[in-house]
Amino acid sequence: MKTLEEVLQDWEAVIGLEVHAELTTLNTKMFCGCKLEFGAEPNTHTCPVCLGLPGALPVPNKAAIESIVLAGLATGCDIEKHSMFYRKNYMYPDMSKNFQTTQGPVAFCMRGGLDLDVDGIGAKERVELAGLDAGESRGNATRTEDGYVAHVGITRIHMEEDAGKMVHIGGGEGRIAGATHSLVDYNRAGTPLIELVTEPELRTPEEARLFMQKLRQIYLAIGISDCSMEEGSLRCDGNISLRRRGETAFGTKTELKNMNSFKNLHDGLAYEICRQAQVLEEGGTIYQETRHWDPSAKRTIVMRVKETADDYRLCPEPDMAPFDLSDEFIENVRARLPELPDQKAKRFAAQFGLSSYDARHLVEHRATSVFFEAAMELAGDAKLAKPLANLVINDVMARMNADEAFDLEASALSPARAVELVKLTASDAISSKQAKEVFAAVIDEDKDPAVIVEERGMKQVSDTGAIEAVVDEIIAAHPDEAARYKEGETKLIGFFVGQCMKQMRGQGNPKMINQILAKKLG
Amino acid sequence: MAYSTDMGVRAIHEGIAAGEFSAREVAEASFAHIAQADEAVHAYLELTEEAAYAAADKVDAAVAAGTFGEMGPLAGVPVAFKDNMNMEGTHTTCSSKMLENYVSPYTATCVSRLIEAGGLPLGKLNMDEFAFGSSTETSAFGPTKNPWDLARVPGGSSGGSAAAAAAGMACITLGSDTGGSIRQPASFCGVVGVKPTYGMVSRYGVVAFGSSLDQVGPFTRSVEDAAYAMDALCGFDPRDCTSQHFTPHFVDALSQGVEGMRVGIVPAFMEDPGLSDEVKAKVNEAARTLRDAGAEIVEVELPHADAAISAYYVLGPCEAFSNLARFDSVRYGYCDGGHKDLNGQYEGSRAAGFGMEAKRRIMLGSYLLSSGVYEKYYYPAQQVRRLITQDYVKAYEQCDVILMPTSPRAAFEFGEIGDPVEMHLSDIYTVSINIAGNGGMSVPCGLGAESGLPIGVQLVSPQFKDVNMFRAAAALEAAYGAAPVAPAFQAGE
Repeated sequence: MKTLEEVLQDWEAVIGLEVHAELTTLNTKMFCGCKLEFGAEPNTHTCPVCLGLPGALPVPNKAAIESIVLAGLATGCDIEKHSMFYRKNYMYPDMSKNFQTTQGPVAFCMRGGLDLDVDGIGAKERVELAGLDAGESRGNATRTEDGYVAHVGITRIHMEEDAGKMVHIGGGEGRIAGATHSLVDYNRAGTPLIELVTEPELRTPEEARLFMQKLRQIYLAIGISDCSMEEGSLRCDGNISLRRRGETAFGTKTELKNMNSFKNLHDGLAYEICRQAQVLEEGGTIYQETRHWDPSAKRTIVMRVKETADDYRLCPEPDMAPFDLSDEFIENVRARLPELPDQKAKRFAAQFGLSSYDARHLVEHRATSVFFEAAMELAGDAKLAKPLANLVINDVMARMNADEAFDLEASALSPARAVELVKLTASDAISSKQAKEVFAAVIDEDKDPAVIVEERGMKQVSDTGAIEAVVDEIIAAHPDEAARYKEGETKLIGFFVGQCMKQMRGQGNPKMINQILAKKLG
Repeated sequence: MAYSTDMGVRAIHEGIAAGEFSAREVAEASFAHIAQADEAVHAYLELTEEAAYAAADKVDAAVAAGTFGEMGPLAGVPVAFKDNMNMEGTHTTCSSKMLENYVSPYTATCVSRLIEAGGLPLGKLNMDEFAFGSSTETSAFGPTKNPWDLARVPGGSSGGSAAAAAAGMACITLGSDTGGSIRQPASFCGVVGVKPTYGMVSRYGVVAFGSSLDQVGPFTRSVEDAAYAMDALCGFDPRDCTSQHFTPHFVDALSQGVEGMRVGIVPAFMEDPGLSDEVKAKVNEAARTLRDAGAEIVEVELPHADAAISAYYVLGPCEAFSNLARFDSVRYGYCDGGHKDLNGQYEGSRAAGFGMEAKRRIMLGSYLLSSGVYEKYYYPAQQVRRLITQDYVKAYEQCDVILMPTSPRAAFEFGEIGDPVEMHLSDIYTVSINIAGNGGMSVPCGLGAESGLPIGVQLVSPQFKDVNMFRAAAALEAAYGAAPVAPAFQAGE
């Protein structure tokens, strides 16, 4: 199979996402007063309404509607004052009424969009942008200095209810195959769910990943969901099709499920794009089907072939009158909008003189943005903004990525310690290499940076005389290498720096060593 | 004076207040009467003696404590409920094998309102299965008979509720009306039957048939009793978001008379070839009675009324299909076990649990909502609904209440109507009121000249102006007298 990079030379991927978010921060369910609680004893949070008992009627949860309006306002959507609920009729035991209450053609939120800043290696996947200058656009993307910005349309965000949970007994690992019977837990039935549908305007797995990350940042910022992809409170399905570059008609799409992490989303989509390209290049046909991403096997598997479109017999929900949201209601919700990640990034760039790249990455997590702002306040020195941003983006985020359990707020790395560490480096008291060691030690040993530097005897030697002596000694000890360097093999400078550093037990100022070596060797 | 099962609300209240009889005696006499009368009529599916005596003891305790006066007019009044109304601890079968063993874990708002008002709950009443029918013949537990002529149907779907009130087996019974299910049986059994404006009475706890059409209302033998029941039933319920804030004053309105009231009649309805002569004569007679009482008779038009029955047989089955989907054997209800797969259990259970008429409506609704078909039927039906609603709004520019037949004819004999389409046509005068959401009631006007059976006329109010029809009904009752208990079931016989 070709690599993604190769495939994207010839094919354009067309990706749309459907993102479900459970409104976990609410107290009660969508249409009844039952408590929302993850992990409670089965069927303890149920009532006639969410059990679908005969005669029970739904009453919409006002707080849930505030949440979806908040989500719409935060993602640039128009808020539809007049929308209503519909019934999606299909039978399955986890659906107590045998219809799902959802919305019809008009959702609470319509026609929104997000701007994605794509940089790094992922930016190269948009091959059609190669050769464009910053500021030039093609399609929904505009070239920037370090990549491009893509505007991805949001078709709609609608309100619906979640189903209960089925547990199959007697088969392997709770699977239905081989099971003797099934149990249903209706605690989750009726959990308020919002479903966001994007336009098919995503073109690379990286864009899809960034879209989900950004959406998650926004949902967390507005506090409507805990957005846990592992626990399923934020779920994402992708629709993928390919077309030859230059074509405008859409190809046949497949639907991809089980992408319960950003990595799985990226890797699943990347695999599916490559798989479809292979099938098409071998003259095969893509079938409209639902596929499942298997992260351990690193491939997608067919779940279900859709021969005809499902007929859900959508009909208006007669138990609830159509909504008529007032301006006052919408404005009250708008007043609750906090500073959103994009706004925060702009402010960081302006207030602290950071690049848009740095500002953008600092706000990727609420924790890192709060941490950075607290540190800047303690530092009281605008010159420390860049080194502090580097510390957060390079060291803190690397730690967060490597260790999912790492909680910045609860960790031993306080904003004050971060400022102290950055000051030690800025004043050349320790080298940047030593700084990395101190960073790890602060977290692992819960000590102040100065204490660690003291305990480990770390000192950066920046005395010209001392460094010159070591450099002379090393050059004398390696005459062959010195000769080769003089003949033009300049990359040997690295060897000499390493030898000097070793001699100085890592405490030499690398910048000065470099300068002095270059002078003496040359 | 001792308690008699012929008594109305006011007589019962005064008797208890005066210490002439106790609420417990009311309950005992009621059950004794039911034990006799219901052998023939078969209105009750379940008796709730324990609940009735508990309620009676509360009333009697209040009498003893001298606080009876605070209990309101329904204290000690025997009441009973259609079997699609949940009452905790009772079976709520909807007269279907599907729910034969279903026991309610909660109570419907309409039921609790009557019980909280001091009513004595006697039991649950027979009906057409899931309220699909106009004769109570589709009940899985056998038909109810018309107390005026046991060879005839009581009407439906609330046939048990109408028959119980007509035979003195309760003072107030509740029914539900989706297309005429209260008014038609009220006419057949010679009692008052009220379908309030949609949204006036909570539907919470009433097993849904057509959610946008269903409304709960009372059966009584007098307009005054119906007014007492409405005063207790109406008003907003936080559990039913289609219910409206409304403060009822029905009893107060009865004394207002009809002087100056404009009563509309629809000439096209009176010329319908399906309308029997005796019903036509009764409607004309009622018009003269109202005119003599001071009302002005005006002619109004409802130009789209012809299409009401077609729209009803699209919208009703669509909503019923969706509402009945929950009866799948998984959580409760009839289960045909032993299948290897889920669909087998679904099919087996629904095939055996539902009767013919229920299956017919489910299949019809399933077809009408399927893609490609929905646009052809559901949309036009919604448009018709809007037109009919506008027709009524326009007609009420000229009048305060409309007078029309309830049913084209008096009660028919068992088995007389076999064709489902012909059966559906017995709702021809009632469905447009559900489609438009107005209030409607059937008021007994004595016996038909040909059949000798009770005949009711229908009064139709603008939305939430249901007091208008009560005022007109009171004027008719002044002329005809309150409806008697059917002769064979009167007290002392």
